[in-house]
Amino acid sequence: MKANYLPGLALLAASVLPISGFAAGDAAAGKIKAFTCMGCHGIPGYNNVYPTYHVPKLGGQHADYIVAALQAYKSGQRNHGTMHAQATTLSDQDMQDIAAFFEQGGK
Amino acid sequence: MMKSIHKIVLLSVMGAVSLSAQAGGNASAGQAIASEKCQACHGADGNSTSPQFPRLAGQYQNYLERALSEYQSGARSNPIMSGFAAGLSEQDKKDVAAWFSSQKGLTSAVEPRTVSR
Repeated sequence: MKANYLPGLALLAASVLPISGFAAGDAAAGKIKAFTCMGCHGIPGYNNVYPTYHVPKLGGQHADYIVAALQAYKSGQRNHGTMHAQATTLSDQDMQDIAAFFEQGGK
Repeated sequence: MMKSIHKIVLLSVMGAVSLSAQAGGNASAGQAIASEKCQACHGADGNSTSPQFPRLAGQYQNYLERALSEYQSGARSNPIMSGFAAGLSEQDKKDVAAWFSSQKGLTSAVEPRTVSR
């Protein structure tokens, strides 16, 4: 009995885990979640208040890179007050969704 | 008299040219740096094909300069980029940033108000 259902469980786990592990972002959900982002990243030529350099363009950026950047801001490995505050509110799924939205041009 | 006026005009022109080169960066000088150091990961024009490496094409010049400076100082920590940034002069950073910034790629994400309320 035990020998019969263990392989089945293993198969089930093997079929489910890769899918959830590589869940693609949902750009439509990301569009809604990115509402706050657009206040700075959606304005062409917008400057950080201090110091003065442009808030980077994200339209067309690779989703994987955006997720990595958000994770680094969240952990503090990448240091930026505003972005740290934003990133700490985001779940992994939120990041994937927002990244998918920007990758397709932020539209 | 005439000679000294010429001298003044020449000097002020030279000053203006070198000033604008400093502020703006020289994209063709930057292209040479990019083809040597950046293109393997970021693509020759900054449109990288590997999703782990960010697109740089069309990015704001002063954002790219700042990123390079932060890699140099260690404020931004990345073992690969700190190695590449380490050898760049202030002018190199401006030049290479000018090159990628002048290429077609990234866009500002507009339409902030298209979400239905």
